[in-house]
Amino acid sequence: MSKEEKPEKRKRSIKKENPEQKRIKQESSSKESKLTTSLFYSEEAEVDTRSPEKDVEVFKSTCSDIRQTMLDIKSLKDKKASHDELEDKRVSVMLDFMNLKKLNRLAHIRCKKVREQTNDAKQRIDHYHLQLQNLLYEIMHLEKEITKCLEFKSKDEEIELVTLDDFYKTAPSDISRTDTTKTDPHLQRLARLEWELEQRKQLAKKLKDSKQSKEGLAQEIKNKQEYLENLQPKLKIVLEATKPVQEYLDMPFDQIREQQETARHLPPPLYVLYMQTSAYRQACDKDLQVSIIGDLDAAKAIKSSGKVVEEDSDSDQEEQEHSKKSKRRRKTVDSRVQERKQQALKKHPLAVKLDINCKDGNSLHLTFNFLITLEIITVNISLTLAESNISSISGSDLLAPESVLTDLYPGDHGKTSPNPANKYELRKLGLKDFTSYITEVGWPYLWAQWLGGLQFLENNAVNTPEEDVSFAHMQQTIRRLKQRVRSRLCLMKQTAAFETGNVVVDPEYQGLFPSKIVSRLTSWKRSTYEDFAVLPHAQALVDDEVVEQSDIFFTTVIERGSAKMTAQIVMTHDYPKVAPVFVVSVLWQHERTAANDKHIKEMEEEVNVHHEELMNSKSCDTVLSNQMQRLLMCFDIYLETEAAGSEEEGPMEISKEKIYNRMLRGPSRSKPYRYCPDIGIFTHR
Amino acid sequence: MKLDKSLEARKLLHTTVYSQCFSPCGHYLATCNNYGKISIFSVSKALAPDASEGNWKQIFSFQACEDGALYCLATTGDLLISAGNGPICAWKWKEILDKSPRIVWSFSIPKRGPFSNPEVNTLVVDQQETGTALFAGCGDKNVYSWDLESGKQVLCMSGHTDYVHDISLKSDGNTLASASEDGSVNIWDVRDSAEPVYSIVPHKTESCCRPSLGKWVGCVAMDSSNDWLVCGGGPKMSLWHLRSMTATSVFDTPKACQQTVQFYDDMILSAGTEPFVNHWFVNGDQKAKVPCTPTSVFNVSVNKNDDKYKVLCASGSSYKIDVCTNFGYRAFSFSLTPD
Repeated sequence: MSKEEKPEKRKRSIKKENPEQKRIKQESSSKESKLTTSLFYSEEAEVDTRSPEKDVEVFKSTCSDIRQTMLDIKSLKDKKASHDELEDKRVSVMLDFMNLKKLNRLAHIRCKKVREQTNDAKQRIDHYHLQLQNLLYEIMHLEKEITKCLEFKSKDEEIELVTLDDFYKTAPSDISRTDTTKTDPHLQRLARLEWELEQRKQLAKKLKDSKQSKEGLAQEIKNKQEYLENLQPKLKIVLEATKPVQEYLDMPFDQIREQQETARHLPPPLYVLYMQTSAYRQACDKDLQVSIIGDLDAAKAIKSSGKVVEEDSDSDQEEQEHSKKSKRRRKTVDSRVQERKQQALKKHPLAVKLDINCKDGNSLHLTFNFLITLEIITVNISLTLAESNISSISGSDLLAPESVLTDLYPGDHGKTSPNPANKYELRKLGLKDFTSYITEVGWPYLWAQWLGGLQFLENNAVNTPEEDVSFAHMQQTIRRLKQRVRSRLCLMKQTAAFETGNVVVDPEYQGLFPSKIVSRLTSWKRSTYEDFAVLPHAQALVDDEVVEQSDIFFTTVIERGSAKMTAQIVMTHDYPKVAPVFVVSVLWQHERTAANDKHIKEMEEEVNVHHEELMNSKSCDTVLSNQMQRLLMCFDIYLETEAAGSEEEGPMEISKEKIYNRMLRGPSRSKPYRYCPDIGIFTHR
Repeated sequence: MKLDKSLEARKLLHTTVYSQCFSPCGHYLATCNNYGKISIFSVSKALAPDASEGNWKQIFSFQACEDGALYCLATTGDLLISAGNGPICAWKWKEILDKSPRIVWSFSIPKRGPFSNPEVNTLVVDQQETGTALFAGCGDKNVYSWDLESGKQVLCMSGHTDYVHDISLKSDGNTLASASEDGSVNIWDVRDSAEPVYSIVPHKTESCCRPSLGKWVGCVAMDSSNDWLVCGGGPKMSLWHLRSMTATSVFDTPKACQQTVQFYDDMILSAGTEPFVNHWFVNGDQKAKVPCTPTSVFNVSVNKNDDKYKVLCASGSSYKIDVCTNFGYRAFSFSLTPD
């Protein structure tokens, strides 16, 4: 409310009062006029005229007059004054009393007036106070309203609009109306909102269009797919028709495909093996032949049924339950063990057959089986030999299937399962160690696992075969297999020759030896570890674990005149990678061995340690013969120098036939064991 | 000890350690073997109270000779001298212990003839105030001596008819004894080396000859008082009094030829083609016969350079070297390792 209005209001209120006051006054005056007749004058009006101080004076004087008169009366009474004087005095006192009363009345009237006046003022003040409060409340209310209005956000502020510059750039001029909008922010805002609306409409249209085109494409794809599916059976018919043509042209694509079909049903490790060996055969080595043998239907059945993992305890429980419910005859313990064994050692019905044909007509046939529960690959070996091979009695088991591939890689004896989990599985099923089942299932060589891509690390059974493992080992393994067959055959030949007393030396090595060697080989026999270990001069080798129980032992006797040399020959399965070790004892006049004769030790050293001179290539299959020849040569030297060096008189049994420039050399008085092929004489090392 | 089947392991089985030498400080033992390698062992570590089997292996070895075996070692104050096949080479002890040995100098034996390949069988270092001399007994039947300060060959003593096995010097450096395959021990005066002063022939002496074992004399030693000489080989080992040139005692080792002999305190130590180290009294009685690992012993050495590590080491045709702290029995063995 404006300030001009406020005093008006005050005026109005006062004006309101004034008529009221007038009314009251009129009433009172009318009342008085009723009560008091014209006899009485209005004392109220008198009050206004008289001053209060004067009245107080009058009051005081009247009081003193009264007191005086009383005193006078008293004195008069004392004096026994006349009744009239008393009456005068009494009348004057009465009049004084009447004055007092009037004064009292006046005072009262004055009070009343003053009170009325203060009331009025108070009322007026209250009224104004209330007005003030009203106005203050109104102000607060209005302020609140103002802030609310100011905070109001319209929905249009929530819309993200393009920036101002972009807007002016992109909007068409009829919307942007640059000239007007640049000045007026409200219009600008409106223009921007309009532009936003335009844009949204356009995008909605685009969306609808894209959806439509998408549906169109989907339909097209469906149509094409149907078309292709209809094509498939037609192609099959064409393929069937080509079969007779293939046979006519002798290009067995189908056969290859069939094999590959079968290959798909192989268990993963055998599959890897098959693929890798076929690849190797195609790429490097035409002498290999790879094929899959076995029962395809059974394999398909296994593949479709999936793996069934049986727990022993569960199956037992089931059996018990069954026997309670239906009175089925319980299986005997034996047959259950048989069943379990069969289950554990079950082979996959398909096997991969690898034939390695060597150049000399021999071939090695390997059949790889996969044991399903034990998850390892086992090998069955067989050899077909060419006609011209001679067999030897002492070396008869060299080509036996059990031992021909032992130690193909160092330490790979193939007697225990390479999968560490198998031990626990077999034990859980109550079966014996794997070694006892090898005759049934085949040999679990490590290289067979590698070819199948299975690599068993410590405490970690790898279930998924990896191609890289197979690839890494393929070439080496095939090479080693061939070498092994070749060297075993060569060994057989050599042992056969030794049995007849001949040491057959290859022409290329014949130059390493002198033409005349007198000592002769008189016997060659197979020996055993136990026989070897009891010999006193062999103790050093046994103690230092240079020879093991699994090695191959031979014993041979060489003679010249009355001197007899017995030699023990130890070779590992890995011949000729590791050359054989010779241990010698000579019986000539008295027993001499490496223990009591240092020349014998040197002879052994010459044969055992310096054998690399006898090999032209890295591993030579005939190193045994060469070593043997060298032994014979050294024995000759030993006997000749020993005889020449002795002081005894009498005819010499052994004459000097070899040429050497110095018989003894060095603090150990070594004999000239070393033969120099170009000069033809013997010297020392 | 498990040896694998490799060539190195097999070589180890056929190793013969021909000679040993203690370092001047007495803490290390150097050995040479028939493959031309010198191996160093730490005596101080092996004798420590907390020594284990690892301390009994060689701490370092290097190929000192490419041509063949090394037959003898000798030491001066700071050099290790090795000889055998090939030239005589010297190595600094400090460089050897730092594992980077280089040849400091080398002497060669003059070659005579196309097939001659003389080996050096024995070395003796003689340190006098006048200088240091090196004596070598060689396979070409001569004894040579070089002056180590100038590096020149000073003497050549020829007279033997077969190669020289062993030599021994008197403490004054003037008299040298050489034992040879031809069966004689020649005594030479170094200052006048044209001819031997005297020649002892044990195989012609009744008391010690053993014709079945040969006439060769493989080892000779002279004692510190310079009156006595002991020699052994094919004939029985015998003690000779040098002034009267007679054999006073004979040491009987039936069927075994002694290949190394030395005087020690008042005893004689000898060993040879049987796996024992013999201790003898001077009068011919055997004091002890200590068994050892090598079947044929070529060298017995006592560590005189440090009293704390006074051990006796016996080496021969085995890759193990026996170490005796109390000379009466074998305490443990150093072993060579293939590397």
